[in-house]
Amino acid sequence: MSHRDDRIRRDQIRLARIGMSRRQFLGRGGALLGGLAIGPAVLAACGGSSGSSSSGSDKSVSISNWTSYITDQSKSDFTKDTGIKLTYTEDINDNDEYFAKIRPNLSRDQSIGRDGFVLTDWMANRMINQVKWVQPFDPAAFTNKSNLRAPLKSPGFDPTRKFSAPWASGVTGIAYNIKTTGKEIKTIQDFLDAPGTKTALTEMRDTVGLFMRSMGIDTAHPTYAKAEPAFDALEKAVNDGKIKGFNGNEYVSDLGAGNLAAAFAWSGDVAQITLDNPDVRFAVPDSGGMLWSDNFMIPKTTDKAKLATDFINFFYDPKNAAVLTAGIKYISPVEGVDAELTKMGGKAAALVNNPLVVPTDEFLATLAIFGPLDSAEEVKFDKRFSQILGSG
Amino acid sequence: MNERDDQGRKRARLSPWLLLGPGMLFLFLFFFFPLYTLGRMSLSYRPSRFANPKFGWHWDNFSNAFSQYGSQFTRSFVYAALATLLALIIAYPLAYVIAFRGGRFRNILLGLVVVPFFTNFLIRTLAWKTILGDQGTVVGVLRDVGILGPTGTLLRTPLAVIGGLTYNFLPFMVLPIYVALEKIDPRLIDAARDLYSNTWRAFRKIVFPLSLPGVFAGSLLVFIPAAGDFVNAYYLGNSKTSMIGNVVQDQFLVQTDYPVAAALSFVFMAIVMVIVVIYAFILGTEDIA
Repeated sequence: MSHRDDRIRRDQIRLARIGMSRRQFLGRGGALLGGLAIGPAVLAACGGSSGSSSSGSDKSVSISNWTSYITDQSKSDFTKDTGIKLTYTEDINDNDEYFAKIRPNLSRDQSIGRDGFVLTDWMANRMINQVKWVQPFDPAAFTNKSNLRAPLKSPGFDPTRKFSAPWASGVTGIAYNIKTTGKEIKTIQDFLDAPGTKTALTEMRDTVGLFMRSMGIDTAHPTYAKAEPAFDALEKAVNDGKIKGFNGNEYVSDLGAGNLAAAFAWSGDVAQITLDNPDVRFAVPDSGGMLWSDNFMIPKTTDKAKLATDFINFFYDPKNAAVLTAGIKYISPVEGVDAELTKMGGKAAALVNNPLVVPTDEFLATLAIFGPLDSAEEVKFDKRFSQILGSG
Repeated sequence: MNERDDQGRKRARLSPWLLLGPGMLFLFLFFFFPLYTLGRMSLSYRPSRFANPKFGWHWDNFSNAFSQYGSQFTRSFVYAALATLLALIIAYPLAYVIAFRGGRFRNILLGLVVVPFFTNFLIRTLAWKTILGDQGTVVGVLRDVGILGPTGTLLRTPLAVIGGLTYNFLPFMVLPIYVALEKIDPRLIDAARDLYSNTWRAFRKIVFPLSLPGVFAGSLLVFIPAAGDFVNAYYLGNSKTSMIGNVVQDQFLVQTDYPVAAALSFVFMAIVMVIVVIYAFILGTEDIA
């Protein structure tokens, strides 16, 4: 018997051992091969475009948003009122992460499977003016646009609000569990000195902004040179173990459970935690807090701009905006929400007296925005912040 | 007759290629092609911050990866080595008991090892956040007995990260060791005893050497994913416990610097490969094959 015959015999024995004939093996191999051939097509189908770029006549809209930014009632009200089916995904936890997620598709003019998303001012600036990945609203469908509050009507990044409409505004301050801290927190120093575990936010502008304000540094016109002492102070706090970590929305459960003593936090989240746990409180430091808005925008790759505009238009009706505000407890960008909240009565009406939901002029005066950064400055800010986070 | 022989020979010549085909196609599609793309990306550069990277033999991505992130590389491999060692210490006796003393409960015991891992990796890691939380029982007990100070914590420490890595990859150590131990013929141990060997000596001379293939496979299955992991360091650690996975995640998802992220991934892969080769050399692949 030749070596080759010998080898074939050995192969046959091996196949017999695993209980499969050569015919079966080849057959199954062929099936696998076929599977591999059609695999990419199947995968592509799975990753599909869920109502974004296929057909504008299909009455459904797919939206990405942050967690705790809508209620079931608002979602069903929207569908009931407009007849538009809503696919709503809470897949935004961090502006940078979401940007990285949609970048491969949008940079190649491909669908991201969404007809709208909500991102913070500075990222809206990037979307509108730097990468230009968003398209204008349908002006005929945005009839409630006039209800937008005057101070929000013409930001530098979108002076006529052609591409962006604020979804909600909020305040970055300090949330703390009074049981763990043992006393009220009024300053950044109080926060750092408080016993227990404390965390800051992975959103650079919020964390560095609060430190900048505590040192009297202007956040409206930021430069790295001006912000450097704030970075140094933040780094020292991390090195000294006074700030134990950085997170996004995850602080919500830890604060409620008492695993965190205090955290840099977003106002609406804390208002929601407080309902279940009155020990959790929110404070704007004496040196001031940060004010920001998250903006609804329509990606350039969807052909459902009209339906996406219908979506934001619905929430710019003061009545619908009031229902939304009562649920999410963030500052509404819509004029007339206060009156509608009062009409709703009960807990909703009480929110009118909560400056974190309906801010007074004095309260607004304690807040500041984080101004735009040009690309070179942003790289410096991001790099230093990543280094402090331990990943840069 | 001759024609049929010729056909048979042709088929025989073809069959190894046909048999290899699906596997090779799979490797090409899901290993070589992504590897090529990653390699190309690691040598690319960004014309502007948000522009798609362009290929350009930018070797400095590699030198940057080495020079800037040395501490995260070191930390990753130290944490992964410790997690592997801990997993081995926990898994070996466990697999030994299941294989030799499990009796009719063997399958149930094996099931108990695997069942927690039916849940999602992330959920399991988040569960550790609750277990090790400042208000959790573990911290409470350790504070009471004085092992932790009154303000001592476990969460967001290196210990929590290494513990998380050990726990999350434990079955990958238990199962190969179990399979290796289960294959050992008990008569060999009886023979050792007949030849006046005590239990320890029989274990050292027979059981352990025969279980080395399992130990080798288990160590690699734990070490490699643990070194590249970023979830445990993100949720259970702090900014001083970042591993190379966190840097890659940050470069890919926050800085969107794909070339540097790709270079980091390549450097990581190269280091892992060297470690595996050294490990195989020390343990002797001949013995464990």
